[in-house]
Amino acid sequence: MEYVIEAQDIWKKFRLFHDRAPTLKEKVLFSHRRKCDDLWVLKGVDLKVERGKTLGLIGQNGSGKSTLLKLMTRIMYPDKGSVQVRGKISSLLELGAGFHPDFSGLENIYMNAAIFGLTKKEIDRKLDEIISFSELEEFIDSPVRTYSSGMYMRLAFSIAINVEPDVLLIDEILAVGDESFQKKCFNKMKSFKTQGTTIVIVSHSLGQLEMLCDELAWLHEGTLLRRGLSADVIGEYRATMSGQDNLRLEAGNRQQAKKSKQDSLASDTGDSSEIGANISFSTQLTDQAKRWGDGAVEIIDVALLDSSDQPRFTFKCGESCMIRMRCRRKRPIDSLVFGIAIYTCDDLLCYGTNTLIDKYLVNVEDLGDEIVVRVSVDKLELLEGEYYINVAAHDEYSSPYDYQTNRLRFSTYSNIKDAGVCRIEHHWSII
Amino acid sequence: MGAVFREIYAYRELYKNMVKRNLRTRYKASFFGFLWTFINPLLQLAVYSIVFSTIMRMNVEHYPMFLFVVLLPWIFFASTTQEAANLIVSNSNIIKKVYFPREILPLAATTSGLVNLGLSFLIAFIALLLSHIPLTWSVLALPLVMGLEFVFTLGVSLVLAAVNVYFRDMEHIWGIFMMAWFYLTPIVYPLNVVPAKYMKYLFLNPMVTLMEAYRDILYYGVFPYFPGLGIFTIMALFVLIFGYLLFKRLSRGFAEQV
Repeated sequence: MEYVIEAQDIWKKFRLFHDRAPTLKEKVLFSHRRKCDDLWVLKGVDLKVERGKTLGLIGQNGSGKSTLLKLMTRIMYPDKGSVQVRGKISSLLELGAGFHPDFSGLENIYMNAAIFGLTKKEIDRKLDEIISFSELEEFIDSPVRTYSSGMYMRLAFSIAINVEPDVLLIDEILAVGDESFQKKCFNKMKSFKTQGTTIVIVSHSLGQLEMLCDELAWLHEGTLLRRGLSADVIGEYRATMSGQDNLRLEAGNRQQAKKSKQDSLASDTGDSSEIGANISFSTQLTDQAKRWGDGAVEIIDVALLDSSDQPRFTFKCGESCMIRMRCRRKRPIDSLVFGIAIYTCDDLLCYGTNTLIDKYLVNVEDLGDEIVVRVSVDKLELLEGEYYINVAAHDEYSSPYDYQTNRLRFSTYSNIKDAGVCRIEHHWSII
Repeated sequence: MGAVFREIYAYRELYKNMVKRNLRTRYKASFFGFLWTFINPLLQLAVYSIVFSTIMRMNVEHYPMFLFVVLLPWIFFASTTQEAANLIVSNSNIIKKVYFPREILPLAATTSGLVNLGLSFLIAFIALLLSHIPLTWSVLALPLVMGLEFVFTLGVSLVLAAVNVYFRDMEHIWGIFMMAWFYLTPIVYPLNVVPAKYMKYLFLNPMVTLMEAYRDILYYGVFPYFPGLGIFTIMALFVLIFGYLLFKRLSRGFAEQV
């Protein structure tokens, strides 16, 4: 097996200074009191990449992905361990490094390609290709400072990609130019793969990685957590990320619940004969959330449960779940209707219904004062994204007892790349 | 050692481009543009000539030429090293983003300084002819002396460029140091005005040998004192090798420090 990149047990630390750089006086007088901490960003990473393979690096911010890439380019050096890269490296870490604004595009091509170690002859040979790839034929003699940022990026990208590297290192830059240019870049990447170029990509876009990479390496807090086939690692990564998503949403929802609890006290003394048809309270709970109604029935608690009845806030698209509301009746009422509605986080109504629409008769006489409402969803076919739920209890003429918007937030994730809001069950047949 | 040259050779296009860029951008957007390469030493010459041939009389024949032929190489040394001190920091945008042999930066800066020196010597030749100071065969030694100055300047530049990344006060200290060095070297005054008891110390200053060599070649029209240049060569090579090793060592941390 031939390895192009070999990183062995690499450790890298950064020094964090807590205040400004010391002056000479402080250095001399307080040399023992240096206020800095060592932050180990890489803790013993081993990584080998075979010739012609495309490896993606994933991980959360601060997990050491970009540092690892910088060590491979030899911009930085590890504190311990060794990194070896064989062949010509081209890096797309920062596009247009070393562009001089006063020089023309053409002159900058020479300068920039030279930074990648090309000779004049090689650049001359590639020149036409670089210019035509960048689509900047008309502007190539104008100074770069007159370029738009898109033109600038296109030129830089064209140079970096046309140096015919043996190893190509890319850091989160596949978002260059308009859609058609992106497509071109993407195709160029794919043709690199067939030419046997070794590629390492750092990206947060799992979709792109899945399409380009043979393998993925998952870095977590400076260590290599997992390395394997793209689809496997992405699946695990998604599941873990959704776990963290869950924690975040849980914290948000807990706060929301606390707010509505405090708020409900106000309604206890509320008099139903106040101005405004039956509405005794109306509050802005948070920026998005509102609550109003006369308080005859109060929704105390809303939860989203998974198939084993555990509260959760992230679901895989297509999973089963249950919305549970606990309510308390405070005053006698004639009729009772419960409703739910699910919105995307940008306020698009995905689905809304209530017991009246679904012809589920709520028999008020049979109910105690403590009411539990369960809505079972066999398949939650909402595509990847964040959603919120509105809940309501009102009478048959829609005058609210308790109406709460944005009561619960949850998110869904999916390994399938279909687009839209929700999945419609379907089958293909082609004859 | 071979690997050093191989890598620099592989990046020769970058080296060429950087030299070109240095020459072109220094006076970019100024009205006189590239002419400043010539105007600058001429104006300095005017100032020193007025001071030392009318106010503090030096009693040297053709004083302006006497000064000019060493002022130019001194400016090369002084401005290149001063610029070198800030070289890595001012190029942080590429240092942090792309790999290339870092020693190309001081190498290119010193080279463009040398090119400027060569061009301003053309002006000097014209001025010498106008002052009726004949050029002799000794001019043949000029490239050698310029080459030696290049080696020494490159060595000092490597040290300054590397050290200043970690100790930013270096460039300010160097500014003062250069001013002192200027007056401790027989540039505005002839060697023979130095009191005899200090003479032996004066030759500890490598720039004395170098400046005297330029003056011998261009002003007196004689070949320089070669044994002196031999010692200078050894010293300059030592500085260059030391500078290179130090630079190489410290360059590993450049991307994190700038």
